[in-house]
Amino acid sequence: MIEVNELTKVFQKPIRGNGLSGMVKTLFSRKYDEIRAVDGISFTVPDGEIVGYIGANGAGKSTTIKMMCGILTPTSGSVRIDGMEPYRMRRQVAQHIGVVFGQKTQLWWDIPLIESFKVLKEIYQVSDADYRERMGFLGEVLDITRFLSQPVRTLSLGERMRADLAASMLHNPQILFLDEPTIGMDVLVKEKIRLAIHALNKTYGTAVVLTTHDMTDIENLCSRIILLEKGTILYDGPLARLKNRFGNLKTLTVSVPAEIHAETAPVFSPEVDVSEEDGRMILRFDADKVALEQVVQYAFRDLKAMDMKIAEISIGDVVKTILEQQEAEHAEKV
Amino acid sequence: MLKKYKPFLRAGAIDTMAYRFNILIWAAITVCEVACMVFLWLAVYRSSAGGIDAEIHGFTYREMISYVVLTTIFNFVTYNNDTLWNINTDIKKGTIGNYLIKPISYRGKFSATSLGTLLTMTALFGLPLYTAALVTLGVLGFLPGLTFPAFFAHLGLFLLSGLCASLLNDTISYIFGVLCFYTSSGWGLNSLKVTLISFLSGTLLPIAFFPAGLREVLDWMPFAGMSQNPILILMMKYDLARSLGSVALSAAWIVVLELLAKFLFMHAVRKVTVQGG
Repeated sequence: MIEVNELTKVFQKPIRGNGLSGMVKTLFSRKYDEIRAVDGISFTVPDGEIVGYIGANGAGKSTTIKMMCGILTPTSGSVRIDGMEPYRMRRQVAQHIGVVFGQKTQLWWDIPLIESFKVLKEIYQVSDADYRERMGFLGEVLDITRFLSQPVRTLSLGERMRADLAASMLHNPQILFLDEPTIGMDVLVKEKIRLAIHALNKTYGTAVVLTTHDMTDIENLCSRIILLEKGTILYDGPLARLKNRFGNLKTLTVSVPAEIHAETAPVFSPEVDVSEEDGRMILRFDADKVALEQVVQYAFRDLKAMDMKIAEISIGDVVKTILEQQEAEHAEKV
Repeated sequence: MLKKYKPFLRAGAIDTMAYRFNILIWAAITVCEVACMVFLWLAVYRSSAGGIDAEIHGFTYREMISYVVLTTIFNFVTYNNDTLWNINTDIKKGTIGNYLIKPISYRGKFSATSLGTLLTMTALFGLPLYTAALVTLGVLGFLPGLTFPAFFAHLGLFLLSGLCASLLNDTISYIFGVLCFYTSSGWGLNSLKVTLISFLSGTLLPIAFFPAGLREVLDWMPFAGMSQNPILILMMKYDLARSLGSVALSAAWIVVLELLAKFLFMHAVRKVTVQGG
C-alpha cells in the first residue's frame, strides 16, 4: 500500500545572469528561484490497484514517482510504502518495489540480456525456483525469450522496454512504478505492454502506478486516475467519473447530401451543437439532457443522413478541456 | 547479505580482463617512467657529498632503486579503480537512480567492484611482476635487508597492507566522488586526489625525506599506508613490530574513513536532483 501525505518537493534553481558580467556576478552572490515541483499532494493506493498518474509535461509526475521509490527526498510531507518511508529505508523498500523509467534503461548495456537478469537475481536474492517460475511467466507475456542472448545495446526500443519491464518484475514486487512505459513504442508493442501489465496485475496482484501521455493506456488499464497540474491534484477518482465530468457527452458524425448545410439545416434543439467539417455534420450533445434516440431520428429525418458514427467523448478530450480551463484561469490571474 | 555484491565483484574482474591490452600499454609507459626515476636518483646520489655509496635519509642508492621499482609495481597493481569517475558519471547522467532503487548499498557496490579489480590485477600482473622484480633486485644485491625465513612473515603482512591500501584508496575515491554531488567538477576533484595521494603517500619521495614536522604528522595519517609502508614492509626496512603497527593504523583509518563516507553520502543523497523526465 502507498500512502502519500502532504508531499512537497521544492527545487532550488540558481538565477544566472546573462553574458559574461552576469556569470561573474553569479560567482559571488547566488540567488535561487524556488520551483514547487510537487505541492502538498495526498493520496492512497491500495494493494492490487492500477492507477493512472497523468498530467502535462512538468506537472510533477516523475518527481512524485522518484520520491515514492526513494531516489528523491521530499522537502516536506511523507511517502509510506507498506509503512516505510523509501528515502529513509531505501534498501528495505527497494525489495518491495519495481521501477521502470521509459526514458532510461536499468539494464547493463554491454552484456547479454540474460546476464542482466542473473545479476538482478543475485541483487534481489531471488531463489532458483522463483526465478524459473518468473522467467517462464515474463518470457511468455512479454515475449522476450527470443532475444535473451543479445547484448542490450543491440535491442530495438520495443524489445528493450519489454526487457526493462521484465527486469523490474523479477523479484515479484508488490508495487510497480511505471514512468511512461509506452513512450516511443509502436501500436503493437504498446498493446503487448498493456496486456503484460494487465496479466501481472491479475496473476500476482501487483499494484501499478502508471504515468503516460497515451490515453489509450489509461482507458485500457486504469480504473482510477490521478490528474496532476502544476504540482497539485486536480482530480482523483474513477476513470468513468472523470469522463462524465462535463456530462455524458456524445458526438454524432453523419454524412449528408451536398445541399444540406449546418447554417441552413432545421434547428432541432439548442442542446445540440451542429457544425460542419469536411462535408460532414458533427452533432455534439449531452446524452443525459437530450435522448440519443431523438438526435438519431433528427439526423435521418431532417439532415437526410446517409451513414452515421456515434462516439463517446474520449478521456483525452476531457483531460485536454480541463487543462485548457486551468490555463485560462491561470492567465486571468496573471 | 554479502552475496548480493558478488555480481559487482565479478564485474570488476571481468572488466579488468577485458581491458588487459589497455593495461599493457599503460605498463609500457610506466616502464619509461621508472627508467627516468632510476636515472634521476643515480644522479642525486652521485652528486651528493658522500658520493654514490652515501646513505641518504636511511636509503642507499640500491635500496632507493628497489623502492622506486617496487612502488611503481605496487601502484600499478593496487590503484586502478574508477570509483570517483563512475560516481561522477552516475551523478551527471542521472544513472545513480538505477542504483538507488535497488536493495544494495551504493558504497558496497564500489567496494565489491574494486576488490574484484584488485584480485584480478594481483593474479594477472602482480604475481609475475613482484616475483620478477624481487628475484632480479635480490640477485643484484639491491635488497640488502632481506633475511629468510623472516621474509615470509613480511610477505604476508605486505599482502595484507596491500589490501588495506586498496581499500583506503577506494574509500578516499568514494569520498571525493560523493563530493561531486556538491561541485559537479569530477575532473578537478580527481586531479586533487591523485596529487595529494602521490605526494603524501611517499610515492614521489619517501616520507623520510620530508621536513621533521611534516614527517611526524604524516606518520599518523592514512597516506603512508597506501604506498610507502607496504613497500618498506616488503623490503624489510621495517621490523615486524613496526610492520604490524602500520597495518593496524591502516585498518583504523579504513574504519574512520568509511564512517565519514557514510555520513557524507547520507547528507549528499538528499541533494540528488535527477533532471528531466
